[in-house]
Amino acid sequence: MRRLGSIWAVAVVAIGLVATGCGSSGSGSKVKATTTTAKLTGSITVSAAASLTEAFKTIGDSFKAANPGTNVTFNFGSSGTLATQIQQGAPADSFASADQDNMNKLVAANLVDGTPTVFAKNKLVIVTKPGNPKNVTGLADLPKLGVVSLCGATVPCGKYAAQILQMAGVTLPASKITRGQDVKATLAAVTNGDADAAIVYVSDAKTAGSAVATVTIPDAQNAIATYPIATLKASSNKAASRAFIAYVASPRGEGVLQGDGFLPPS
Amino acid sequence: MKLDAQIRATLGSLDLDVELAADAGETVAILGPNGAGKTTLLRTLAGLLPLDHGHIELDGTTLDDGAGTFVPPERRPIGVVFQDYLLFPNLSALENVAFGLRARGMPRTEARAVAARWLDTVGLADRHEAKPRELSGGQAQRVALVRALATRPRLLLLDEPLAALDQSARVELRHELRKNLASFDGIRLLVSHDPLDAATLAERVVVLEHGRVIQAGTFPDLAANPRSRYVAELAGVNLLTGAGRGDHLDLDSGDQLVAPGAGSGPVLAVVHPHSVSLSRDRPTGSARNAWPGTVDSIQLLGERVRVRVAGVVPLIAEITPAALHDLELHEGGTVWASVKATDITLSPA
Amino acid sequence: MSTRGRRVPWFPVLAALVAFAFIAIPLIGLVQSVPWTSLWGDLREPQATAALRLSIVCSLWATLLAIALGVPLAWVLARVSFPGRSIVRAVTLLPLVVPPVVGGVGLFYAFGRDGLIGRYLYSWFSLQLTFRTAGAVVAETFVAMPFLVITVESALRSMDRRYEDAAATLGASRMTVFRRVTVPAIAPGLIAGAALAWARALGEFGATITFAGNIQGRTQTMPLAVYLLLESRPDVAIGLSLVLLAVCIAVLALLRDRWLGAG
Repeated sequence: MRRLGSIWAVAVVAIGLVATGCGSSGSGSKVKATTTTAKLTGSITVSAAASLTEAFKTIGDSFKAANPGTNVTFNFGSSGTLATQIQQGAPADSFASADQDNMNKLVAANLVDGTPTVFAKNKLVIVTKPGNPKNVTGLADLPKLGVVSLCGATVPCGKYAAQILQMAGVTLPASKITRGQDVKATLAAVTNGDADAAIVYVSDAKTAGSAVATVTIPDAQNAIATYPIATLKASSNKAASRAFIAYVASPRGEGVLQGDGFLPPS
Repeated sequence: MKLDAQIRATLGSLDLDVELAADAGETVAILGPNGAGKTTLLRTLAGLLPLDHGHIELDGTTLDDGAGTFVPPERRPIGVVFQDYLLFPNLSALENVAFGLRARGMPRTEARAVAARWLDTVGLADRHEAKPRELSGGQAQRVALVRALATRPRLLLLDEPLAALDQSARVELRHELRKNLASFDGIRLLVSHDPLDAATLAERVVVLEHGRVIQAGTFPDLAANPRSRYVAELAGVNLLTGAGRGDHLDLDSGDQLVAPGAGSGPVLAVVHPHSVSLSRDRPTGSARNAWPGTVDSIQLLGERVRVRVAGVVPLIAEITPAALHDLELHEGGTVWASVKATDITLSPA
Repeated sequence: MSTRGRRVPWFPVLAALVAFAFIAIPLIGLVQSVPWTSLWGDLREPQATAALRLSIVCSLWATLLAIALGVPLAWVLARVSFPGRSIVRAVTLLPLVVPPVVGGVGLFYAFGRDGLIGRYLYSWFSLQLTFRTAGAVVAETFVAMPFLVITVESALRSMDRRYEDAAATLGASRMTVFRRVTVPAIAPGLIAGAALAWARALGEFGATITFAGNIQGRTQTMPLAVYLLLESRPDVAIGLSLVLLAVCIAVLALLRDRWLGAG
């Protein structure tokens, strides 16, 4: 009887392992990309910078609608973290970064298929609580505030922010800076936290809508973020990935991006 | 100084209804079987269990009136020796004795000096720094006693103070306890299940059964006129209950007991063990009362033998070792027990 | 190996090995990735030293707070019978199961500048907890206190209360009884609870980053620093992780007899 019990236990564990191993979504499914009548099927995983969250979700939905049988799963985060994950073998089909540096890292590591496409640009902006209660008019007002939220120093938007502050000659003491691990977390410190202001992308301010008030950074002091996207060599569904990228760069995709506050790629 | 208590309290399934009074310099023993409520009674006097009704007055001060007045234990002038002594395990013997003094405000050095003197009086001069787990049962009992006495209470409550000791230690400590209690000038209440404690330590005995006082008086009084099986057992006598029918009793257990002057109404009949004769066969002498039974147990007590006989009329008989040998009695064997009708003491129930 | 005479059953032993490996291998992986040569230097970097100092200060304060607030709570739960006691106990233990980030969000809506209580703290006392070291202490106390309450309540329930009775009959006030009888009696449980609370406070991340923010030198405790540094300075991140790991092992080793059974 006890013998039987232990056999049952092993059987249950084994079945459990097999069940979770198979049938999961992801780039494991096979797809036949025929040369001529390319009917797109299969799933792809897109690792994209956090600032692309709203725009890419919209684009992903329309891509799926335009290509029934396909599925797009997104993995949003700080470009640096995503790039490191891809270098360590994370299963992604495409990568969209908020700066060239992280894409170049992958190119140099020979992980990119073909050449990356720049599909959007972005500028940065100061956001505050609705109504701008502390009357922030520009970068120079930031040191007077209690706490300012910036992205982590190695996150693209953090690097851009540091650039901007340095060029404007504004120094923020470390004791007043709270760091977010990606631009959405940085924004949340203002919308859902007690931070007085944050430096985020114009697109993030736009999608946050009335949850924030914006203070424009003059072009002369601002930085331009460049967004490249590429298919990865390790992708098992390059056809779908390339199609997605093409869709992003198409007028429809660009329309969504610019509607969300991004700038055109050129 | 007087203790005047009328105690009505409930604890679980126990319903306590007791009237108790005691004077200074007096030791009252509270006896009873397990579950009679003896410890519960002590706890109400100590303030560890509030009364439902009644009152407790000590020295004219009301400690508890079952209503608005309740003096908590820490403000009562009492000392308690608990059944397991409950010496604080993390404190030395000296610190244990000093505990009550310090709790009542005495500075540390003074308290330790007073405690040291107390320990010396009970022969523990060399055990001041010992922790409770390093003390023998007898030593721990003495520490517990002086710990309670050190605060000079008016009422000393002792809960089975000798129960945790083995037989030889018990004999020695009973003797010591007697001396120590005698030198204490307050009221002493001693709870015990051992009648020997009552007999040697107390002037008065109160017997509790099922939360009620069954009998109270001096120990000889109780032994002479037991009013319940338990008291009779305590006193080591046989007690039979029945209805009087003139010259005999109709026993509650079913048989008859011939006894002149039985009167009518409920009757208690006391038969001393030495009045019970044992024989192998039905006796043919003048004894009117004879019953067959089986030998339940045989106990040798010095030069006497106590034989318990089970049967229609269960009896304890006291015979000589020679008789035991002659009768060839053994546990489980049959035997006849007989009692002379004139050897029976009757009292109305 | 033996199990008192019978043959050792292979199945539980195999499963036990797998279970142990599951826990041990990631730890071994961490230790073997430590860059030992640069470790000392890495830990002396400003971001690392700030995080180390903050972690120690905040976790100790959190433990003290957890004791000061948790012991009375444990006492009431163990000794006072009142309607809804089991619900109160369940709520007290919620931080043990609720994701720490959720705890942080709750703390924000309670004690943020516009929070339920926070708004009064701010307007009456100019007291702001968010983005302050005090806020990190609050977040850590929030997650650590239940450990202390559990162990102390259990110790209070299992102690022999007759000692407290004895102390009362000797004239000790309730405070004296607590101080001289109860606390020594529950000391092992109290110490174990405090050690666990401290270890938990030290490792707290989600509530801290959500409520107190991530400010170097103010609220960026070791776990937060590790999270940020992992991408840019993995060496420093691993060094800090090693320190955290070593502290936790030390705490658990100290407790092995009392809390986890015979060593």
